[in-house]
Amino acid sequence: MKITKIANRQLLFILFMMRTTVTIAFLPVLTSADAAQDAWVAALFTFLGSAVIVILVAALGAKYPKQTIVEYSTALVSTWPGKVVSAVVLWALFTIAATDVRIYGEVLVTGFLVQTPLAVIIGGMVFVAAVAAWQGIEVIARVADTLFPLFVLMLVLSLGMVVPLVEIRNLQPVMARGLLPVVRGSITPTAIAAQMLVLTMLIPAVTEPNRALATALWALAGSSLVLVVVAVVTVGILGPEQASRSVFPFYVLTRSIEVTEFVQRIEVLPMFAWGFGLFIGIATLIYSLAYGLAQVLGLADYRPLVFPLAALQTTFSVQAYKDVFELLRFFKPRVVGPYILAWFILSLFPLWAAHFIRTVWGSRRQGGSDGQGRVWGQILAVFSFASYRPLCDYQHRLLGSA
Amino acid sequence: MGLWQQLFGKRKARGPKILSLADDLVISEREQKLNTKLSANLTANLNTIVDLFGNSADFTIRHFKAGPDQLPGAVVVLEGLVREDSIKDIQRVVLVDSLKLDLKAAKPKAFYQLIKDRLLPNYDLKELDTFDRLCENLSSGHKLLLFDGVDKALDCGVEGYKSRAIEEPSAETVIRGPREGFVESIRTNTSLIRRRIKTPNLWIESFSLGNLTRTEVNMAYIKGLVSDQLVAEVRSRLERIDIDSVLESGYVEEFIEDDPFTIFPQLARTERPDKVAAGLLEGKVAIFTDGTPFVLITPINLWELLQAPDDYYERASIAAFIRNLRIFAYWVSILLPGSYVAVVNFHHELLPSELALRIAATREGVPFPVVAEVLIMELTFEMLREAGIRLPQAIGSAISIVGALILGEAAIRAGLASPAVIIIVAITAIASFTVPAFDLGISGRLLLFLFIMLGATIGLLGIQLGLLMLLIHLCSLRSFGTPYFVPIGPMVVKDWRDVFIRIWWWGMLKRPHLVGTRDLDRESPGQMPRPESQDEGDDHEDN
Repeated sequence: MKITKIANRQLLFILFMMRTTVTIAFLPVLTSADAAQDAWVAALFTFLGSAVIVILVAALGAKYPKQTIVEYSTALVSTWPGKVVSAVVLWALFTIAATDVRIYGEVLVTGFLVQTPLAVIIGGMVFVAAVAAWQGIEVIARVADTLFPLFVLMLVLSLGMVVPLVEIRNLQPVMARGLLPVVRGSITPTAIAAQMLVLTMLIPAVTEPNRALATALWALAGSSLVLVVVAVVTVGILGPEQASRSVFPFYVLTRSIEVTEFVQRIEVLPMFAWGFGLFIGIATLIYSLAYGLAQVLGLADYRPLVFPLAALQTTFSVQAYKDVFELLRFFKPRVVGPYILAWFILSLFPLWAAHFIRTVWGSRRQGGSDGQGRVWGQILAVFSFASYRPLCDYQHRLLGSA
Repeated sequence: MGLWQQLFGKRKARGPKILSLADDLVISEREQKLNTKLSANLTANLNTIVDLFGNSADFTIRHFKAGPDQLPGAVVVLEGLVREDSIKDIQRVVLVDSLKLDLKAAKPKAFYQLIKDRLLPNYDLKELDTFDRLCENLSSGHKLLLFDGVDKALDCGVEGYKSRAIEEPSAETVIRGPREGFVESIRTNTSLIRRRIKTPNLWIESFSLGNLTRTEVNMAYIKGLVSDQLVAEVRSRLERIDIDSVLESGYVEEFIEDDPFTIFPQLARTERPDKVAAGLLEGKVAIFTDGTPFVLITPINLWELLQAPDDYYERASIAAFIRNLRIFAYWVSILLPGSYVAVVNFHHELLPSELALRIAATREGVPFPVVAEVLIMELTFEMLREAGIRLPQAIGSAISIVGALILGEAAIRAGLASPAVIIIVAITAIASFTVPAFDLGISGRLLLFLFIMLGATIGLLGIQLGLLMLLIHLCSLRSFGTPYFVPIGPMVVKDWRDVFIRIWWWGMLKRPHLVGTRDLDRESPGQMPRPESQDEGDDHEDN
């Protein structure tokens, strides 16, 4: 496949926008449900948890700077287990993209386009993202370059207008119920950092792959900062009760403010910012998905896969969740936590294990070490795969009880 | 089956058009004649030329006998293409001056050589020996001397056809800046550039395009500033062109652009020499076409099309303001009517309540939905604009009266359109006229209709999706290898000094980063004017 390159700066913009969109949309309610007035502390914990995920994903990728996960998983755990690992990653990308766009669709249907069918909104967004994905990661990166200043400007404007309304009383008392609820509140946003799995496909496209980890961490730091501010603002204005009860608190918040007679209803600003960010996210996800799938299937070009995948994406996004409440149930820490953990158990853990064994074997005896390392890798992979079923059962039990 | 064949079957390919045997012969005979060399026989040569030009009305032969030996010769010329005085001058030289030469029974060849070397020093002389070169040069206004017994023709470049005088370009007017514009003659045009850039590094390559028109096309660049890759690319694209005629630079443009299906111009065209010179100095390539005052500049980006020459001559702060105003206006001209339709159709709650009521009140009694209203008014305006261009200037004012009075006033009076829509259409029109490049302005006006439809179907979401599609398209475009949306996407922050602002000339240290890659430095840094000595003087006076 033709290799196209993007700058690390562009990767930073892509990751930042991708993560921040979910943040401003949805996360306050998830964190504040458990953490209440300490949502902002949960946001800080989220940064730590997500950093672990990013390191898991990016550090391994940086060790194979010219390969995507499809290629280096084959090298590490041999062909078929490697393909299964890649399939898990691809499934993760698929699910994340579908869920992201569904959240966006739900907000638009509730707030702006009440009579428009969900499929139209989701389909439109996915189609435009697919066009970008078809053009390639270079074009997505350039659009990200263009949109990033606008995105930041809109965020700063909409947040800046509401900051004066924050009541510190709503944020007190700090950490009154101990650490546990705060940690529980940070599980979901951490799990959503599984978005960073796109790095498994994007690292070979970056001009400086060895700095990709740093880039991803900076993006994460930036979006975490936004998350903290949003958490403070939402809880500080709406109060912990209402913040956890309303479905899209940030939207509710911006809707309610009136700066002057003329400047009111500025919810358009975050909505446009969200649309831009979501577009970058979905386009990157679809691109990575199609690119990875093409590599798994051994195709010469990923492009023929883009639009079929986009169609599947739309269908899945509409069908996967019955309504917004099921979506919210999916994001309960008890459900989403183990589910996304399963992705990592099935994909990155065996690879890391194989990588370690390989380096250890490689340092002990030189030459001919590959075969044995690979065997161990396979055993570990099978072991990890075996844990899939119990995990599923666990997850179903949780879903039933939720 | 028969019907099926007739309905959907491919038509039988007709053979090549059958020419009569005689036609065939004539064509091959002509080609043969064009490829033959001149003979030593004057009458035979002249007969061939007369045959080739088919006794055209402007085709003239003047016979003479030159020298002490009365050597028969002839002057062949296409009238109207040569300088009038030159005909007489050459005849005087050949007929009178040749008598002064001490030629005692010289052979025709020696006589010819003498005339060529000693008598015609004022002229750009070439020797021709084939009929196709001869005909081509004749058509471009050269004058040919033929002598009996010599198998060569002497070509004197004395082209002097009538050309328009250099005037101020009417399509690109400036408040401050040179008032010269290009004309239809390519040599005048290149001379206008030479006069501005006196370095010998300004190189001009010549191409002859069009099998029938043989139009001269020149590619100019500054050697050492321009990237060799770019020059090679432009050259190869120009050489690839195979067409019968090139009447305007638009022909060339469509053959060499990167993406033929986009509505965005990928080459800038201009009538202003200062603009071309500025482009060359940034490391770009200019393409001149004979017969048109429009010169192409490449590679360009979208933001450069939104810049006017004034920006660089006017005070920097004023230029920055006007430039941003223009960028803003361009996006307004694309997005405003669509957004209006979207907001009024889907999101009235976004408007402050008084404004919403006001708009609702003005729409009272208008029989169309908002989309139809906006579309009709926009279309009407487009027609007005086009009519205004095509009409002679004397009647042009009539159009504005019709537009302003009948459309504006009467439509509102009759309740066919609401004043709000008229205002929207007017703002859009004004905004689109601020775009200095006509072709870019029109692209905006085309997109406007797309955005109206999007806004009418899915509201602001449609506007956003359309905007994203537009961005994807712009970011995927390239103009001769450089990204079209640079320096915004990809982001080249250092070049922003010449996009959203225009930095002072003493601060314009670098050439654009993706174009002028060969030699980025424009000037030495630290030239900000600091009149220190004056300050000291003031201090002394104060003390």
